Amino acid sequence: MKRFIIEREIPGASGLTTAQLAEIAATSNAAVDSLGVPYTWVNSYVAGDKIYCVHEAEDAETILEHARRGGFPADTVSEVVNEFGSHTAELVVR
Amino acid sequence: MTRLFHGHPDPSYAPSVELLEREPQLEQLREAIRRSRGEGGVVLITGEAGAGKSALLRAATAGEATRVVRGLCDPLETPRPLGPVRDVIDELGVDLDVTGFATLAELGAGLLEAIGAQPTVVVIEDAHWIDEASVDVLRFLVRRIESAPILLVLTARTDEIGAAHSMRPLLGDIARHESASTIAVPSLTIGAIRTLVRETGLDAASVLARTGGNPFYVTEIVRHPEEGLPASVRDAVLASTGTLAEDDLEVLRLIATAPDAVDDRLLPILGIDVPRLRRLEATGLLSRSRRGVGYRHDLARLAVDDAIPLAASAPLHARMLDALERQGSGDLAVLTHHARAAGDRERTSRYADAAAAEASRAGSHTEAVAFLRLAIEHFSGEPAARADLLERLSWEEYMVSDLDDAIEAITDARSVWSAIDDHPRVAAAHARQAIFEYYAADRRQAERHIGIAVEDVDSPRYASAWATRMYLEFRRNDVGAATASGRVASEVARERHDDEVRLRSEILGAASDVLGGSLAARELLLDRVDEARVLGFDEAASTGNSNLAAIDVDHRRFREAGELLSRALPFTVDRDIPICNQWQTGVRARLHFLRGRWEAALEDAHTVLDVEAAPLALLWPHVVAALVLMRRGGSSEIVDRHLELAWDLAHRLDEPFATLQVMSAVAEQAWLLDRDDARLDDANALIAEIGDLPGVEWATGDLAVWLARLGRPVLALRAAEPFAIELDGRADDAAARWTALGSPFESALAALGSADEAVAAHAVGELDAMGALATADRARGALRARGLTRVPPRPRTSTRGNPSGLTNRQLDVARLVAMGLTNAELARRLYISPKTAGHHVSAILMKLGFTTRRELIRRAEEFGLA
Repeated sequence: MKRFIIEREIPGASGLTTAQLAEIAATSNAAVDSLGVPYTWVNSYVAGDKIYCVHEAEDAETILEHARRGGFPADTVSEVVNEFGSHTAELVVR
Repeated sequence: MTRLFHGHPDPSYAPSVELLEREPQLEQLREAIRRSRGEGGVVLITGEAGAGKSALLRAATAGEATRVVRGLCDPLETPRPLGPVRDVIDELGVDLDVTGFATLAELGAGLLEAIGAQPTVVVIEDAHWIDEASVDVLRFLVRRIESAPILLVLTARTDEIGAAHSMRPLLGDIARHESASTIAVPSLTIGAIRTLVRETGLDAASVLARTGGNPFYVTEIVRHPEEGLPASVRDAVLASTGTLAEDDLEVLRLIATAPDAVDDRLLPILGIDVPRLRRLEATGLLSRSRRGVGYRHDLARLAVDDAIPLAASAPLHARMLDALERQGSGDLAVLTHHARAAGDRERTSRYADAAAAEASRAGSHTEAVAFLRLAIEHFSGEPAARADLLERLSWEEYMVSDLDDAIEAITDARSVWSAIDDHPRVAAAHARQAIFEYYAADRRQAERHIGIAVEDVDSPRYASAWATRMYLEFRRNDVGAATASGRVASEVARERHDDEVRLRSEILGAASDVLGGSLAARELLLDRVDEARVLGFDEAASTGNSNLAAIDVDHRRFREAGELLSRALPFTVDRDIPICNQWQTGVRARLHFLRGRWEAALEDAHTVLDVEAAPLALLWPHVVAALVLMRRGGSSEIVDRHLELAWDLAHRLDEPFATLQVMSAVAEQAWLLDRDDARLDDANALIAEIGDLPGVEWATGDLAVWLARLGRPVLALRAAEPFAIELDGRADDAAARWTALGSPFESALAALGSADEAVAAHAVGELDAMGALATADRARGALRARGLTRVPPRPRTSTRGNPSGLTNRQLDVARLVAMGLTNAELARRLYISPKTAGHHVSAILMKLGFTTRRELIRRAEEFGLA
């Protein structure tokens, strides 16, 4: 499976209550369950007027299909092609 | 489940369509889009189902820089109110709540502002399935479209739009609109079919013979050439489903039960997973849009839907209904559709009831009627609730001027209230029925019902019943009785804090005084109308305007009447009060008629006659149509028909005023044809009987003058001044009075009696100039019989200009030109383009026989255009 970062524009996202987030999560879970193809919701981050989600699926189209079924926006869907962090520095051959 | 988000990921795939033989249409559409960036316009795309109207639109707008927003109409048996308007607002992404506007005109204005902010193509697809409220909003848009950079494009199967269709008035507007064009999408020719069947082994001529060149049908055949030539579109579509497994086919059928596509959010609830969706998509029958999963074309949906075995249909609809309920759908029209097809009586009635209330609030009365009928048909609850539904139905039927059905529904409601011994509600139903009966021009029944209604003090409409009784008495010019009833009405209204009834009776009280000649009462009446308007009693306010306008016109207060109607008529449109709209249009027909503006008068008369208005509103339209036609020398058969209908109406109304007016028209016809008419034998008796009632002196005077012209005896009577002068033998004075009042025809007829031969001869020329050729000929005969030798002959062509030929629109423009407005200023005032304004001005100048607008400005007073 491929990993994707999805940017969802939701005005006032930062103000969503826990109850609202729970409802969104339930809807999202139902959408995932309904797909009938491999799909993993890894995590989501609320920031400003946006929600950034990390999902795994075979292709971007499946990411969009999940969004349509959940009634979520999906303004940009980008495949994660690499991952690095502070530890990556150690990989450099001096 | 609440919807937290707006916006939607783009459709995953769009159908690709090959366009053949559509170059001219495509070019016409693209040109219209280009032009609309400067000045708005309307395009109507017509063609049969499957002709490729939508495909043409997609091709024309693909890659188009101009913003495109779409509204779709769905093949629901009863459409959702404002469906396409909501779509458009949704696509615009603006914050506009359709329920937040007091009137559809205000909604139209809000929409225009939101759309017009940048060049936009507004597409309304499948307008043959449109609802009444959307039609009203679009009509508003069309009237002002030239003032904004908007192209409104409608697609419609015009062959499916009958005379009574909600879409008719909009089609009429478009047909008359300067900046509107129609694009017909024809069938494919053999040449195009040859291209399409290339490499399929099919014979183009046979395909053409089978399909009639219908592009959708041809395309379906070409997709499955191995099937040969299917016998019908349905078979051609079903060829695509042959390879599906039974459980996949079941889901394809489930989707076909939804006329408006299946919302993506329903897919999890319906258990439709991605692999199955991909298999279904492989049939090529489905498409994905913002609205969800649907069929590529309604013909494809219908083919699959029709092939569902009878026993399988109801469970599919039930499954869809359950899913919609679980999803928390508030789409009442769709819920009603599925509940009904599922055979679920309780839910059908419940949803149809709610859908009707929503339609009524939105001003979609046609749809409200349809939903209420459905709700009643499927109802199985308490009798009182059933009677409530029937009463609501009767009101909505009244709102669409379907009085026969309104009377039937209120009668049914009455018998239910009666069966459960709810006597106050029985009386209340009688009160309402009285109004319907009167609008249906059946005074006898109206009086009977109101007589019962005023007997029950416990009736919730007790005060209102007294006000209605007052109204009936007022309409018979029986001011004494009306005043007495009005006293009860306002007393009870005060006790019960019923401001509406209080105002209704105060307005009618003032109207009675105006009838008696009090001008102070006129001001009082207008104050009360204003109060009613402010308090939201639209009908009371509008009815007050209706009654005052009729009296003003009859008493020849033309300026006041014109000014009043110019405010009152738009109010009836804004507030959706069809009966007042029809009535006031009829009154304006008479106003134009008396001022010698016959073309505008006929236009108004036919507006009312064409919409099959309430019989009460038909009297003036019939009389005006008969008189204009007879004076011009039109078909005597049509004149007779109008007169007979008017005569019949006057007798059903049993009102002195109406009878007198129709008798005058009969007398004029008798004079024109130089014959006697037995229908006039009772004329003097009638004048004697009612001549002393307040407010009849214009009508009695008119009739008496015609009787005198016929050589019939005229008894002493109280006649309005110009008539009295004429009866007194002072023809010149009478003519001068009529000219001062602004009635050119009456003036010319009076002048015919002048002792001065030159004056009499000049009057004949005036009649010719007005186009009253038959009257002028009759006058020539009369003058020759008097021994006059220098009577002008009938002119070979009409060279003199006259305002009698101006239409309503032209009159509006002419008045503004007279004020000195330029084309650009006219354009801004009337929401049209300067080019259209220029066209109007040229047509007006031609009809008036002027060459420059300066002449019009100079002579505006003389032509009554100042």
